[in-house]
Amino acid sequence: MAVNIQGIGAVGGFGCGVEALRNALRQGSVPPRQVTLEHPGEAGEEFPAYLAATGELERFIPKRELRRIDHFSKMTLLGACLALEDAALLDGDRSRIGVVVASGYGPLKTTFSFLDSYLDFGYSCSSPTHFSNSVHNAAAAHVAMQLKLTAPNLTVTQFDMSVPSALMTALQWLAEDRVDQVLFGAVDEYCAVLRYCRRQFFGAGEQGPLAPLELARQTAVVGEGAAFFVLARPESAAAYGRIDGVCLGNHQRRPVRLPETDGLIVGADGHHRCGVWYQQVITGRQVAACAPVYGSFPAAAAFDLAVAALALRDGNLTVDEPPGGDGQAVDVSRLACLKFAAGGEYGLIRLSR
Amino acid sequence: MSVKEKLKKVLIEDLNLEDLTPDEIDDDMALFGEGLGLDSLDAVELVVVVQKHFGVEIKDMEEGRPALQSISTLARFIEEKQGQ
Repeated sequence: MAVNIQGIGAVGGFGCGVEALRNALRQGSVPPRQVTLEHPGEAGEEFPAYLAATGELERFIPKRELRRIDHFSKMTLLGACLALEDAALLDGDRSRIGVVVASGYGPLKTTFSFLDSYLDFGYSCSSPTHFSNSVHNAAAAHVAMQLKLTAPNLTVTQFDMSVPSALMTALQWLAEDRVDQVLFGAVDEYCAVLRYCRRQFFGAGEQGPLAPLELARQTAVVGEGAAFFVLARPESAAAYGRIDGVCLGNHQRRPVRLPETDGLIVGADGHHRCGVWYQQVITGRQVAACAPVYGSFPAAAAFDLAVAALALRDGNLTVDEPPGGDGQAVDVSRLACLKFAAGGEYGLIRLSR
Repeated sequence: MSVKEKLKKVLIEDLNLEDLTPDEIDDDMALFGEGLGLDSLDAVELVVVVQKHFGVEIKDMEEGRPALQSISTLARFIEEKQGQ
Protein backbone atom coordinates (compact mmCIF):
# COMPACT_ATOMS: atom_id res chain seq x y z
CA MET A 1 0.00 0.00 0.00
CA ALA A 2 1.26 3.47 -0.87
CA VAL A 3 1.27 6.03 1.94
CA ASN A 4 1.22 9.80 1.83
CA ILE A 5 3.80 12.07 3.39
CA GLN A 6 2.03 14.82 5.33
CA GLY A 7 4.92 16.44 7.16
CA ILE A 8 8.70 16.43 7.52
CA GLY A 9 10.95 17.42 10.41
CA ALA A 10 14.72 17.37 10.18
CA VAL A 11 17.67 18.50 12.27
CA GLY A 12 21.30 17.92 11.40
CA GLY A 13 24.59 19.51 10.49
CA PHE A 14 22.77 21.73 7.97
CA GLY A 15 20.55 23.29 10.65
CA CYS A 16 16.98 22.78 11.76
CA GLY A 17 13.81 22.37 9.71
CA VAL A 18 12.75 21.72 6.15
CA GLU A 19 13.77 25.17 4.91
CA ALA A 20 17.28 24.78 6.31
CA LEU A 21 17.54 21.43 4.53
CA ARG A 22 16.24 22.91 1.29
CA ASN A 23 18.71 25.81 1.48
CA ALA A 24 21.59 23.42 2.15
CA LEU A 25 20.57 21.27 -0.83
CA ARG A 26 20.58 24.35 -3.06
CA GLN A 27 24.16 25.08 -1.97
CA GLY A 28 25.12 21.44 -2.62
CA SER A 29 27.15 21.02 0.54
CA VAL A 30 27.53 22.31 4.08
CA PRO A 31 30.90 22.89 5.76
CA PRO A 32 31.24 20.48 8.71
CA ARG A 33 32.33 21.78 12.11
CA GLN A 34 35.90 21.27 13.27
CA VAL A 35 35.73 19.23 16.47
CA THR A 36 38.63 18.86 18.88
CA LEU A 37 38.95 15.61 20.74
CA GLU A 38 41.26 15.55 23.74
CA HIS A 39 43.40 12.46 24.31
CA PRO A 40 45.19 12.09 27.67
CA GLY A 41 48.87 12.92 27.25
CA GLU A 42 48.53 13.85 23.56
CA ALA A 43 47.80 16.97 21.58
CA GLY A 44 44.10 17.55 20.82
CA GLU A 45 42.91 15.90 17.63
CA GLU A 46 40.92 18.01 15.14
CA PHE A 47 38.53 16.49 12.67
CA PRO A 48 35.38 17.49 10.76
CA ALA A 49 31.89 16.44 11.85
CA TYR A 50 28.32 17.35 10.94
CA LEU A 51 26.75 18.00 14.35
CA ALA A 52 23.17 18.91 15.21
CA ALA A 53 21.99 21.63 17.63
CA THR A 54 18.75 21.09 19.54
CA GLY A 55 18.14 24.55 21.06
CA GLU A 56 15.01 24.90 18.92
CA LEU A 57 13.37 22.17 21.00
CA GLU A 58 12.60 24.68 23.76
CA ARG A 59 10.06 26.20 21.37
CA PHE A 60 8.01 23.01 21.83
CA ILE A 61 8.87 21.66 25.30
CA PRO A 62 9.78 23.58 28.51
CA LYS A 63 13.47 23.40 29.39
CA ARG A 64 12.80 21.86 32.82
CA GLU A 65 11.04 18.90 31.18
CA LEU A 66 14.08 18.29 29.02
CA ARG A 67 16.57 17.93 31.85
CA ARG A 68 16.50 14.13 31.96
CA ILE A 69 16.50 13.82 28.18
CA ASP A 70 19.86 13.27 26.50
CA HIS A 71 21.13 14.65 23.18
CA PHE A 72 20.04 11.55 21.24
CA SER A 73 16.48 11.82 22.48
CA LYS A 74 16.46 15.60 22.10
CA MET A 75 17.33 15.24 18.41
CA THR A 76 14.56 12.65 18.12
CA LEU A 77 12.04 14.87 19.90
CA LEU A 78 12.97 17.89 17.81
CA GLY A 79 12.62 15.96 14.54
CA ALA A 80 9.27 14.61 15.74
CA CYS A 81 7.97 18.02 16.84
CA LEU A 82 9.00 19.64 13.56
CA ALA A 83 7.30 16.90 11.53
CA LEU A 84 4.07 17.21 13.55
CA GLU A 85 4.20 20.99 13.21
CA ASP A 86 4.75 20.70 9.46
CA ALA A 87 1.70 18.42 9.26
CA ALA A 88 -0.35 20.79 11.47
CA LEU A 89 -0.74 18.05 14.09
CA LEU A 90 0.74 19.76 17.14
CA ASP A 91 -2.75 20.51 18.45
CA GLY A 92 -5.57 18.04 18.85
CA ASP A 93 -5.89 14.34 19.50
CA ARG A 94 -2.76 12.33 18.70
CA SER A 95 -3.87 9.10 20.33
CA ARG A 96 -3.94 7.16 17.03
CA ILE A 97 -0.54 8.26 15.75
CA GLY A 98 1.97 5.41 15.97
CA VAL A 99 5.70 5.96 16.41
CA VAL A 100 8.42 4.07 14.55
CA VAL A 101 12.02 5.14 15.15
CA ALA A 102 15.04 3.76 13.29
CA SER A 103 18.60 4.03 14.57
CA GLY A 104 21.81 2.40 13.45
CA TYR A 105 23.75 3.07 16.66
CA GLY A 106 21.22 4.04 19.33
CA PRO A 107 22.11 6.48 22.14
CA LEU A 108 25.89 6.07 21.98
CA LYS A 109 26.94 8.96 24.21
CA THR A 110 24.70 7.99 27.11
CA THR A 111 25.48 4.30 26.75
CA PHE A 112 29.21 4.93 27.04
CA SER A 113 28.72 7.47 29.85
CA PHE A 114 26.79 4.85 31.79
CA LEU A 115 29.43 2.19 31.13
CA ASP A 116 32.21 4.63 32.11
CA SER A 117 30.50 5.47 35.41
CA TYR A 118 29.99 1.77 36.09
CA LEU A 119 33.64 0.96 35.33
CA ASP A 120 35.03 3.99 37.21
CA PHE A 121 32.81 3.99 40.30
CA GLY A 122 31.00 0.66 40.37
CA TYR A 123 27.36 -0.32 40.54
CA SER A 124 26.45 2.00 43.40
CA CYS A 125 27.53 5.14 41.50
CA SER A 126 25.97 4.37 38.13
CA SER A 127 23.37 6.95 37.19
CA PRO A 128 19.84 5.52 36.88
CA THR A 129 18.96 8.31 34.44
CA HIS A 130 21.89 7.39 32.22
CA PHE A 131 20.80 3.78 32.34
CA SER A 132 17.19 4.53 31.38
CA ASN A 133 18.34 6.75 28.51
CA SER A 134 20.87 4.20 27.28
CA VAL A 135 18.31 1.70 26.02
CA HIS A 136 17.58 2.02 22.32
CA ASN A 137 13.86 2.74 22.64
CA ALA A 138 14.28 5.54 25.20
CA ALA A 139 14.01 8.19 22.48
CA ALA A 140 10.75 6.79 21.12
CA ALA A 141 9.43 6.62 24.68
CA HIS A 142 10.27 10.30 25.27
CA VAL A 143 8.45 11.16 22.02
CA ALA A 144 5.37 9.23 23.13
CA MET A 145 5.32 10.73 26.62
CA GLN A 146 6.06 14.33 25.68
CA LEU A 147 3.78 14.43 22.64
CA LYS A 148 0.98 12.21 24.00
CA LEU A 149 1.27 9.64 21.22
CA THR A 150 -0.42 6.61 22.77
CA ALA A 151 -0.67 4.31 19.74
CA PRO A 152 1.90 1.51 19.09
CA ASN A 153 5.54 2.48 19.44
CA LEU A 154 8.57 0.65 18.08
CA THR A 155 12.31 1.20 17.65
CA VAL A 156 14.13 -0.70 14.91
CA THR A 157 17.90 -1.17 14.72
CA GLN A 158 19.50 -2.84 11.74
CA PHE A 159 22.61 -0.68 11.26
CA ASP A 160 22.67 0.72 7.69
CA MET A 161 19.36 -0.95 6.85
CA SER A 162 17.51 0.48 9.88
CA VAL A 163 15.57 3.05 7.87
CA PRO A 164 14.08 0.80 5.15
CA SER A 165 13.48 -1.93 7.72
CA ALA A 166 11.62 0.41 10.09
CA LEU A 167 9.68 1.90 7.19
CA MET A 168 8.31 -1.55 6.39
CA THR A 169 6.77 -1.67 9.85
CA ALA A 170 5.27 1.80 9.48
CA LEU A 171 3.67 0.85 6.15
CA GLN A 172 2.34 -2.36 7.65
CA TRP A 173 0.69 -0.57 10.57
CA LEU A 174 -1.08 1.76 8.17
CA ALA A 175 -2.12 -1.13 5.91
CA GLU A 176 -3.57 -2.98 8.91
CA ASP A 177 -5.43 0.17 10.05
CA ARG A 178 -3.79 -0.17 13.46
CA VAL A 179 -3.12 3.58 13.42
CA ASP A 180 -4.38 6.63 11.55
CA GLN A 181 -0.89 8.04 11.01
CA VAL A 182 2.65 7.03 11.77
CA LEU A 183 5.34 9.38 13.01
CA PHE A 184 8.24 7.64 11.33
CA GLY A 185 11.84 8.76 11.62
CA ALA A 186 15.49 7.96 12.13
CA VAL A 187 18.18 9.27 14.41
CA ASP A 188 21.86 8.71 15.12
CA GLU A 189 24.39 10.62 17.18
CA TYR A 190 28.11 11.27 17.18
CA CYS A 191 30.24 10.53 20.23
CA ALA A 192 33.94 10.40 21.04
CA VAL A 193 33.98 6.58 21.12
CA LEU A 194 32.53 6.52 17.61
CA ARG A 195 35.30 8.87 16.48
CA TYR A 196 37.86 6.53 18.04
CA CYS A 197 36.40 3.52 16.22
CA ARG A 198 36.19 5.33 12.89
CA ARG A 199 39.80 6.48 13.21
CA GLN A 200 40.87 2.88 13.79
CA PHE A 201 38.89 1.65 10.77
CA PHE A 202 39.34 4.49 8.31
CA GLY A 203 42.36 6.52 9.43
CA ALA A 204 42.99 9.72 7.47
CA GLY A 205 40.01 9.01 5.19
CA GLU A 206 37.81 10.73 7.75
CA GLN A 207 39.26 14.20 7.23
CA GLY A 208 36.95 15.15 4.35
CA PRO A 209 35.89 16.75 2.16
CA LEU A 210 33.07 14.27 1.67
CA ALA A 211 32.95 13.18 -1.99
CA PRO A 212 30.11 10.62 -2.16
CA LEU A 213 30.48 9.71 -5.81
CA GLU A 214 34.20 9.07 -5.67
CA LEU A 215 33.14 5.56 -4.89
CA ALA A 216 36.53 3.89 -4.61
CA ARG A 217 37.88 6.35 -2.05
CA GLN A 218 37.16 6.65 1.70
CA THR A 219 35.94 10.25 2.14
CA ALA A 220 33.22 9.82 4.78
CA VAL A 221 32.76 12.57 7.39
CA VAL A 222 30.89 11.58 10.53
CA GLY A 223 27.49 13.17 11.10
CA GLU A 224 24.44 13.05 13.33
CA GLY A 225 20.84 14.14 13.20
CA ALA A 226 17.19 13.14 13.05
CA ALA A 227 14.70 13.14 10.19
CA PHE A 228 10.99 12.46 10.76
CA PHE A 229 7.89 12.06 8.63
CA VAL A 230 4.17 11.99 9.25
CA LEU A 231 2.83 9.15 7.10
CA ALA A 232 -0.84 8.52 6.41
CA ARG A 233 -3.02 6.23 4.32
CA PRO A 234 -3.52 7.04 0.62
CA GLU A 235 -6.99 8.56 1.02
CA SER A 236 -5.49 11.36 3.14
CA ALA A 237 -3.95 14.59 1.82
CA ALA A 238 -0.29 14.48 0.77
CA ALA A 239 1.94 17.48 1.20
CA TYR A 240 5.09 15.84 -0.18
CA GLY A 241 4.02 13.04 -2.50
CA ARG A 242 3.78 9.43 -1.49
CA ILE A 243 5.91 6.40 -0.66
CA ASP A 244 4.96 3.62 -3.06
CA GLY A 245 6.97 0.83 -1.48
CA VAL A 246 10.14 -0.36 0.17
CA CYS A 247 12.20 -3.49 -0.34
CA LEU A 248 15.28 -4.97 1.30
CA GLY A 249 17.70 -7.55 -0.03
CA ASN A 250 21.30 -8.54 -0.57
CA HIS A 251 22.85 -7.62 -3.90
CA GLN A 252 25.23 -10.59 -3.77
CA ARG A 253 22.40 -13.10 -3.52
CA ARG A 254 19.78 -11.40 -5.64
CA PRO A 255 20.95 -8.25 -7.45
CA VAL A 256 18.84 -5.16 -6.90
CA ARG A 257 16.63 -4.22 -9.86
CA LEU A 258 16.52 -0.47 -10.15
CA PRO A 259 13.47 1.13 -11.74
CA GLU A 260 14.61 2.31 -15.20
CA THR A 261 12.80 5.63 -15.30
CA ASP A 262 12.93 6.78 -11.68
CA GLY A 263 15.24 9.56 -10.59
CA LEU A 264 17.79 8.04 -8.22
CA ILE A 265 19.03 9.31 -4.86
CA VAL A 266 21.86 7.17 -3.54
CA GLY A 267 22.97 6.91 0.06
CA ALA A 268 26.63 6.86 -0.95
CA ASP A 269 28.37 8.66 1.91
CA GLY A 270 32.07 8.23 1.32
CA HIS A 271 32.47 4.68 2.62
CA HIS A 272 34.50 2.85 -0.01
CA ARG A 273 33.32 -0.58 1.14
CA CYS A 274 29.77 0.46 0.25
CA GLY A 275 30.98 2.33 -2.83
CA VAL A 276 31.77 -0.87 -4.71
CA TRP A 277 28.07 -1.81 -4.70
CA TYR A 278 26.92 1.58 -5.96
CA GLN A 279 29.59 1.34 -8.67
CA GLN A 280 27.94 -1.83 -9.97
CA VAL A 281 24.46 -0.38 -10.36
CA ILE A 282 24.67 3.36 -11.02
CA THR A 283 27.24 3.50 -13.81
CA GLY A 284 25.80 5.54 -16.66
CA ARG A 285 22.87 6.87 -14.61
CA GLN A 286 22.29 10.36 -13.33
CA VAL A 287 22.08 10.21 -9.57
CA ALA A 288 21.90 12.55 -6.60
CA ALA A 289 24.04 11.93 -3.51
CA CYS A 290 23.41 14.39 -0.70
CA ALA A 291 25.74 13.22 2.08
CA PRO A 292 27.81 16.47 1.87
CA VAL A 293 24.74 18.18 3.35
CA TYR A 294 24.39 15.99 6.46
CA GLY A 295 27.39 13.67 6.76
CA SER A 296 27.83 9.94 7.14
CA PHE A 297 25.74 7.90 9.61
CA PRO A 298 23.21 5.05 9.30
CA ALA A 299 20.10 7.18 9.92
CA ALA A 300 21.11 9.49 7.04
CA ALA A 301 19.02 7.25 4.77
CA ALA A 302 16.02 9.08 6.26
CA PHE A 303 17.53 12.38 5.09
CA ASP A 304 17.72 10.92 1.57
CA LEU A 305 14.01 10.18 1.93
CA ALA A 306 13.41 13.79 3.02
CA VAL A 307 15.37 15.02 0.01
CA ALA A 308 13.20 12.86 -2.27
CA ALA A 309 10.00 14.14 -0.66
CA LEU A 310 11.14 17.75 -1.05
CA ALA A 311 12.12 17.13 -4.67
CA LEU A 312 8.68 15.67 -5.39
CA ARG A 313 6.97 18.69 -3.88
CA ASP A 314 9.25 21.18 -5.60
CA GLY A 315 9.29 19.26 -8.89
CA ASN A 316 13.04 19.20 -9.34
CA LEU A 317 16.11 17.41 -8.11
CA THR A 318 19.73 18.36 -8.58
CA VAL A 319 21.74 15.42 -9.83
CA ASP A 320 25.43 14.76 -10.41
CA GLU A 321 26.82 12.78 -13.30
CA PRO A 322 29.04 10.25 -11.50
CA PRO A 323 31.81 10.71 -10.68
CA GLY A 324 31.59 14.36 -9.63
CA GLY A 325 30.51 16.63 -12.49
CA ASP A 326 28.38 19.74 -12.45
CA GLY A 327 25.01 19.53 -10.78
CA GLN A 328 21.96 20.04 -12.95
CA ALA A 329 18.26 20.17 -12.13
CA VAL A 330 15.95 17.56 -13.65
CA ASP A 331 12.18 17.23 -13.52
CA VAL A 332 11.02 14.42 -11.31
CA SER A 333 7.71 12.71 -10.75
CA ARG A 334 9.08 9.33 -9.60
CA LEU A 335 12.11 8.81 -7.37
CA ALA A 336 13.93 5.94 -5.73
CA CYS A 337 16.27 6.09 -2.71
CA LEU A 338 18.94 3.39 -2.71
CA LYS A 339 21.10 2.55 0.30
CA PHE A 340 23.85 -0.08 0.33
CA ALA A 341 25.63 -1.51 3.37
CA ALA A 342 29.18 -2.84 3.23
CA GLY A 343 28.09 -6.48 2.82
CA GLY A 344 25.91 -5.78 -0.21
CA GLU A 345 22.67 -5.46 1.77
CA TYR A 346 20.42 -2.88 0.20
CA GLY A 347 17.25 -0.96 0.87
CA LEU A 348 15.23 0.60 -1.93
CA ILE A 349 12.42 3.07 -1.24
CA ARG A 350 10.26 4.23 -4.15
CA LEU A 351 8.27 7.46 -4.16
CA SER A 352 6.06 9.35 -6.55
CA ARG A 353 4.29 12.69 -6.74
CA MET B 1 35.12 25.95 47.59
CA SER B 2 32.86 25.08 50.53
CA VAL B 3 30.82 21.87 50.63
CA LYS B 4 27.62 23.88 50.08
CA GLU B 5 29.02 25.67 47.04
CA LYS B 6 30.30 22.43 45.55
CA LEU B 7 26.96 20.73 46.25
CA LYS B 8 25.06 23.43 44.38
CA LYS B 9 27.47 23.22 41.45
CA VAL B 10 27.28 19.44 41.09
CA LEU B 11 23.52 19.45 41.61
CA ILE B 12 23.08 21.82 38.68
CA GLU B 13 25.52 19.87 36.52
CA ASP B 14 24.57 16.29 37.36
CA LEU B 15 20.81 16.82 37.63
CA ASN B 16 20.81 19.13 34.59
CA LEU B 17 19.16 22.03 36.39
CA GLU B 18 20.41 24.34 33.67
CA ASP B 19 17.70 26.90 34.30
CA LEU B 20 19.22 27.64 37.73
CA THR B 21 22.44 29.25 38.95
CA PRO B 22 24.10 28.35 42.29
CA ASP B 23 23.06 31.75 43.67
CA GLU B 24 19.41 30.93 43.05
CA ILE B 25 19.55 27.85 45.29
CA ASP B 26 18.95 28.91 48.86
CA ASP B 27 20.81 26.92 51.53
CA ASP B 28 17.59 26.09 53.37
CA MET B 29 15.32 25.64 50.36
CA ALA B 30 13.57 22.24 50.34
CA LEU B 31 15.22 20.00 47.75
CA PHE B 32 12.01 18.12 46.96
CA GLY B 33 8.45 19.22 46.26
CA GLU B 34 7.72 22.94 46.40
CA GLY B 35 11.33 24.05 46.85
CA LEU B 36 13.81 23.00 44.21
CA GLY B 37 11.22 20.69 42.66
CA LEU B 38 13.27 17.49 42.71
CA ASP B 39 11.50 14.10 42.70
CA SER B 40 12.10 10.50 43.73
CA LEU B 41 14.37 9.71 40.77
CA ASP B 42 16.48 12.74 41.69
CA ALA B 43 16.79 11.30 45.20
CA VAL B 44 18.48 8.24 43.73
CA GLU B 45 20.70 10.46 41.57
CA LEU B 46 21.57 12.54 44.65
CA VAL B 47 22.80 9.46 46.49
CA VAL B 48 25.05 8.73 43.49
CA VAL B 49 26.22 12.36 43.30
CA VAL B 50 27.14 12.48 47.00
CA GLN B 51 29.12 9.24 46.80
CA LYS B 52 30.85 10.16 43.53
CA HIS B 53 31.83 13.75 44.36
CA PHE B 54 32.26 13.59 48.14
CA GLY B 55 33.10 9.95 48.81
CA VAL B 56 30.22 9.70 51.28
CA GLU B 57 27.73 6.85 51.18
CA ILE B 58 24.09 7.31 52.10
CA LYS B 59 23.26 3.80 53.21
CA ASP B 60 19.50 3.79 53.68
CA MET B 61 16.36 5.91 53.93
CA GLU B 62 16.76 6.29 57.68
CA GLU B 63 20.05 8.05 57.07
CA GLY B 64 19.04 9.69 53.81
CA ARG B 65 15.68 11.24 54.73
CA PRO B 66 17.01 13.84 57.23
CA ALA B 67 20.13 14.46 55.10
CA LEU B 68 18.26 15.14 51.87
CA GLN B 69 16.07 17.95 53.18
CA SER B 70 18.10 20.94 51.97
CA ILE B 71 21.59 22.00 50.91
CA SER B 72 22.34 22.86 54.56
CA THR B 73 21.30 19.46 55.93
CA LEU B 74 23.10 17.59 53.17
CA ALA B 75 26.29 19.62 53.58
CA ARG B 76 26.21 19.01 57.35
CA PHE B 77 25.73 15.25 56.77
CA ILE B 78 28.67 15.18 54.34
CA GLU B 79 30.95 17.14 56.68
CA GLU B 80 30.07 14.87 59.60
CA LYS B 81 30.76 11.72 57.57
CA GLN B 82 34.00 13.11 56.19
CA GLY B 83 35.12 14.00 59.72
CA GLN B 84 34.60 10.45 61.02
